[in-house]
Amino acid sequence: MNMIYKSVKMFGGVVGLSLMLSLHSCDEAEYLDQVPPTQLSASDIFSTPDRIEGLANGMYAAIKDANFYGGRLLMFMDVRGEDFINTTSNSFTGFDAWNHSYNSGSSDIINVWSNGYTAINRANILIQGLADNPDVVTAEVAAGYVGEAKFIRALSYYTLVTLFARPYAESNGSASGVPLRLLAETDTENNDLAPSTVAQVYQQILQDLNDAEAELPSSRSNALLNTTRAHKNTAIALKTRVYLSQGDWPAVVAEASKICSGDTEFASPTGVLHALQEDIVGLFATNYTTTESIFSMPFTNLNMLSGQSALGYLYNGNEEYFLNPAQIVGNAQWGPDDARWGLLRNAGGRNYLAKFGQGAPYLRYMPVIRYAEILLNYAEAAAETGDLALAKALLEAVHHRSDPVYEFPASATATSAALIESIETERRIELLGEGFRSWDITRRVRPFPEKIGPSFSTNAVAPSASNYIWPMSNNELLTNSLIGN
Amino acid sequence: MWVFVPSLWANELLIDRTVSGIVKDAETGEVLPGVSVIEKGTTKGAHTDGDGRFSLTVSDNATLVVSFLGYKSQEIVVGNRTVINVSLVSDAQELGEVLVVGYGTQTKKEFTGAASRVLQEDLKDIPVQSFDQALIGRASGVNVSLPNGQLNNAPVIRIRGVNSISLSSYPLFVIDGIPVTSGDVSSNATVPNNPLADINPSDIESIDVLKDAASTSIYGSRGANGVILVTTKRGKEGNARVTYDGWYGITNAVRLPKLLDAQQFMDIKNEAQMNRKILSGQADNPNVASALYFPSYNADGSLVNTNWLDYIFQTGQSHNHAVSISGGSPKTKYFFSANLSEQSGILQKNEFDRAGVRFNIDHEATNWLKLTGGLNYSKSENRSPNSGSRDGNAQLIVGAARMAWTLNPNVPARNADGTPHLNNNINGTIGNGNNDVVSVYYNPLTLFELAKYTSANDRVLANVGATITFIKGLTFDTKYSVDRMRTEDISSASALPGSSAAASGGSVTNITRLNNNWNFANTLNYDVRFDEHHISALAGMDVQEFNVNRWGANVQQAADPYFTDFQGSWGQISSSGNILSKASIISYLTRVGYDYDSKYFITVNFRRDGNSALGFDTKWGNFGGVSAGWLLSDESFYKESGLSSVLNNVKLRGSWGRVGNGNLDPYASLALYSSNLYGSAATWAISQAGNPALGWETGDQINIGADMGLFHDRLQVDFSWYKNNVDGLILQVPQAPSKGIPGNSIYQNVGSLYNKGVELGLSGDIMRKSKFTWTSSLNFTYNKNEVISLAGEGDRIVSNSSGNPFNMTEAGYSVGTLYGAVTNGINPENGRRIFINAAGEQIQYSAAVASGESQWQYLDGSPAAAITAADYEPLGNALPKWYGGFQNTFRYANFDLGINFSFSGGNKILNGNTGTWLDQRYFNNSVKVLDRWQNPGDVTDVPRLVYNDNFASGNIPNISAYIEKADFLRLQNVLLGYKVPSRLFGTSGISNIRVYAQATNVFLITGYTGLDPESSINGNRNTSPGVEYNSIGNGRTITFGVNVAF
Repeated sequence: MNMIYKSVKMFGGVVGLSLMLSLHSCDEAEYLDQVPPTQLSASDIFSTPDRIEGLANGMYAAIKDANFYGGRLLMFMDVRGEDFINTTSNSFTGFDAWNHSYNSGSSDIINVWSNGYTAINRANILIQGLADNPDVVTAEVAAGYVGEAKFIRALSYYTLVTLFARPYAESNGSASGVPLRLLAETDTENNDLAPSTVAQVYQQILQDLNDAEAELPSSRSNALLNTTRAHKNTAIALKTRVYLSQGDWPAVVAEASKICSGDTEFASPTGVLHALQEDIVGLFATNYTTTESIFSMPFTNLNMLSGQSALGYLYNGNEEYFLNPAQIVGNAQWGPDDARWGLLRNAGGRNYLAKFGQGAPYLRYMPVIRYAEILLNYAEAAAETGDLALAKALLEAVHHRSDPVYEFPASATATSAALIESIETERRIELLGEGFRSWDITRRVRPFPEKIGPSFSTNAVAPSASNYIWPMSNNELLTNSLIGN
Repeated sequence: MWVFVPSLWANELLIDRTVSGIVKDAETGEVLPGVSVIEKGTTKGAHTDGDGRFSLTVSDNATLVVSFLGYKSQEIVVGNRTVINVSLVSDAQELGEVLVVGYGTQTKKEFTGAASRVLQEDLKDIPVQSFDQALIGRASGVNVSLPNGQLNNAPVIRIRGVNSISLSSYPLFVIDGIPVTSGDVSSNATVPNNPLADINPSDIESIDVLKDAASTSIYGSRGANGVILVTTKRGKEGNARVTYDGWYGITNAVRLPKLLDAQQFMDIKNEAQMNRKILSGQADNPNVASALYFPSYNADGSLVNTNWLDYIFQTGQSHNHAVSISGGSPKTKYFFSANLSEQSGILQKNEFDRAGVRFNIDHEATNWLKLTGGLNYSKSENRSPNSGSRDGNAQLIVGAARMAWTLNPNVPARNADGTPHLNNNINGTIGNGNNDVVSVYYNPLTLFELAKYTSANDRVLANVGATITFIKGLTFDTKYSVDRMRTEDISSASALPGSSAAASGGSVTNITRLNNNWNFANTLNYDVRFDEHHISALAGMDVQEFNVNRWGANVQQAADPYFTDFQGSWGQISSSGNILSKASIISYLTRVGYDYDSKYFITVNFRRDGNSALGFDTKWGNFGGVSAGWLLSDESFYKESGLSSVLNNVKLRGSWGRVGNGNLDPYASLALYSSNLYGSAATWAISQAGNPALGWETGDQINIGADMGLFHDRLQVDFSWYKNNVDGLILQVPQAPSKGIPGNSIYQNVGSLYNKGVELGLSGDIMRKSKFTWTSSLNFTYNKNEVISLAGEGDRIVSNSSGNPFNMTEAGYSVGTLYGAVTNGINPENGRRIFINAAGEQIQYSAAVASGESQWQYLDGSPAAAITAADYEPLGNALPKWYGGFQNTFRYANFDLGINFSFSGGNKILNGNTGTWLDQRYFNNSVKVLDRWQNPGDVTDVPRLVYNDNFASGNIPNISAYIEKADFLRLQNVLLGYKVPSRLFGTSGISNIRVYAQATNVFLITGYTGLDPESSINGNRNTSPGVEYNSIGNGRTITFGVNVAF
């Protein structure tokens, strides 16, 4: 080995080494500054109008969760009532709702609580982000988004406060409610927040809905959007529900009258022209975006729920609940010619709810607000405020759509009290499976009746009982020191 | 050392002569064929024949070099002899003298950190899917346990305790210098896929476990949990040597619960229903059912009494084969191997296959350039039904263990016509027999047939490297390695009734994942000795990139139930399992070692790491350590002392180091938004609340130890005391759910913890006679883990298992302390379980009460608030405080017998199974339920039975009554081998045959009443240890094997 060769080898080696042992800082950055190719960072999310539109849709996606208005929430509400009998005692499919046996660690409790606030935070993030990024969309468009955010927030708070807090009517909302989160939460601050009173939560809900009514567009570009995104009448419709829960009958009348005009047939005079549709079965089976569906959760092949997340599977596919023969299906107001029998399936002597289909794929839209409910809200408030004729007309509008020949016995509509009872019965028939029964019982502070089935039975629950409302989520108890117990 | 060189004048007088002889194994006396015998300094050489004979013509004054793979080389001066018989000593002992350390090797003498070494003889015959499973009880400080009996689970491995809360506590595995993917790569919640199973255990030469920071800090941010260095076999100079290792085995489930038979079941459940009726105040209501369970009869009139365990468990059969060919010339050495393994487990339809090849080569191109290469290809597949034993699966209705515990024994498996007994509903769930209760469970006959899950790997591990020697002692090493693994996970459930996806018209999900990791490491090494000084220095850099590309789709609505593959005709498709990520670590590293007079040793190392997963300003971290040693026994004053005659070898060592843990989600620090759909409209929504200040989790570790040899090294003792302080613990800090933050948590650096303990290793020859030897080794570790601080004072991080808050982490407690409601037995007056609330009051619970009565009452019957998580208390440490192994090897003539124990304890386990076994829904129960409370005054630990009670006895099992001690002693392994006398082989060319029988998990001595005190339903999750709940235990395996060499 000669010296020259040796020197060349050494030199080459040292040069090679120094190249290998050092990376320029820009190369280091190339390795170390990684951004995910399938997600956007917070700094880019408000940068285009399309992304903001996506954030708006993202709020709706939150309330469409399987444990929220995607369906299971509606089932929990319905089976708490007296009209269903459980067949499986499976705690993953609402048995504890049916049996009034939830505890703080039950997954339904933890999920519903968390889902509600997920939607609320998405709304708060959109409101905050629009304020921080004012020039991406026009002020008018931005106001519309804020209106949608407030609508979502109001619906979510209404859901939570009616489940996890004592009924407003019990003490005019003086009981402890739920924490009112109105700020966009994206960091580690603010874990502890005490619950506001029930009245304060209702006040916020109504303020949000009033703002939403002012800010939302009166209608959208097509029927799909009118059904799946909020507009002015959506906010008004929800207000009738909220005021009804407070027992503020004049306010219900005032709001309902904005979107219900007519003598025997009713329709909305402004905005989206809501009206009842002739074929109630088709409303659920095929025609998801008529003007009767004020607000529904859409399903597509790429965005659907299945198995124990799908109401069609739970009620009718797997037959986890059947209609309690001692209750609404045996009521004389549900006459034999009523088209609404078409929303049940009779098998083996039992009636199963067929409103949401039976087999997969479960693509039927999930109703959240339907015009029939608004008419019945209006009817109840009218009856409470003494306008019996209007109340009767509204009740008949709903009933005669499905059973045109049915005549209410005079005794059923003669007095305010009788009318209110008939309206409540009508709600149980018309809105069966749409999540109303628990609210209709608790807003009147009445006991949950006992349910006796062939295998499982559950006792009545008095309003004074602790399981009359849902227990607080364990996860909130463990992380929010101000939540109370 | 100076080597004698014959002088020139002597060369002129050389006279050639012939020497011959026989080469034998010094220990066994067997002849060794293929041994290389070379005259030193020449190219003259020969190999021994089949009878171990050689013959060679050599010069006068020649020195023979006798060398053979696996044995110490010998140099023999010929002198004037013509017959030289040689006894070669196995070099296992010699291998023990050299340790593989990060980016190099060190002699055991020089090494001043803490490490343990496991050699291939200890591993190769153990029937496992992956070599890490065979490390149980083998090394001090290393706690290895199998979480359940499903095949190819990643074992739970903890080196010196749990060193993190949120991040992985799994050690870094480095195979031939390549950090490889480990853990679990299956996207499928049903089938585990431990990628270490892609390594053929027979290919492994040695495993070195680095435990203290001074040893691991050269791996910087990857070393926090210890480093396991795996060295595969390489060729050695000599004739080609061929080996074959094979075994066949069977596996059975053990410690299964004793469940109720059909009559007991009906009696118990109907008693519960009657109690419910009475307690509900409906005793006189004829509309409320008094009984729900009724007998079914077989065609012969006998009562249907189905043992569902027989339909869930099985005797698994396995066989395993490995062949290798190795050898080489002085310049080029090669090792080639191929292997095949087909195993089946204790769970029906659970099967694991692997096939692979390895090729390692070393070549000296010139005296300054050495090239190395390695290539390993393997394919593996694990198939299994849902065992219910994996993270989040404990309460799935398709979980096999839960099915086994719950299916009703009075329901037949098949109808009279032989078809499976199913309900006539959309799912085809299991039929009810004559019971009035609809079960949501499936019939295992159909479920296991119609719902299938697989996870399969195709993997290439390859490396190419070069060593350039510039001048003596100065070398440059470069190595580029690739770990490229394609994983395919398939979940297929048929549309037929009795499959778990019948209601969806069938459902198939295919997910494919490419893990493409590369590693480029360059180091410059300098090693010089002058006078009594020895300096070794290393400097280098290392770049690693980790790419994950996972995508897949789910199809439903089969056009025909015939279709059970993704490629069939389907009505519906949606994406599933998509992940696309890239992460990098850049490192600069150096190590300098110095020793004086081979008595005083010091090593300093430093590594600077940049990690792409951390916050923008906190990506870089500095790690390193220093260690020192003193060979006391080489001091003259020691040698002269009387002690040296007993304690002949003493080395004292100590180290301090800092390591990091950067095993983070690649984008953990970023605030991110994800897109999805709302109907058909695109959505954006927050998916991760980021933390731009997220920084390193670092551990400061101290290690002090001694290595001692007694009675001329006949007894070797190594002892270490250590303390690891981990700061900046990264935690997914739970946020109030009312904040609406995704996952209700944010990564933060909050808190600190420590592990401290002692490790003791004893090994030695208890007896060494000419025919009989008994060697024994004991390793023992004591470890204490405690969280020093968390986010805020008194903060308690609760961890869920399948949605249940079973563990908590809080300052002053060990990580993942068991958590739940405190109970105080069963009220003898009324059979209600008594809970203790946060105020210390006794509250009794009844699942059924009359209308208006409260389910929760004080003992005087007045209503009380329900027990919630606000009343929960810590219920016991779940991390073993002491553990270890005890290995014995006996040899007598041609027989060898190994008896190995493992033990562990000082911790508690939540036996959640008790909740299932006492659940008063439609579940079958264990015979424990027969002890239930029945009459006032009964003193028992099983409450009064109330149908549908899943609280007092059931589904929420985290109560103090179900916490048990987890101490155990396990006879882990017994192996009896016999070496067939070589004279029987004749001229067959066979040099060695050994046959053996062995058994693993032979017996377990424990007070634990569940299946296995080492169970973990949460696998390797740090914060949820010590929970067994509806999982299958570990089986007992018996194998018969053979080792053959040519």
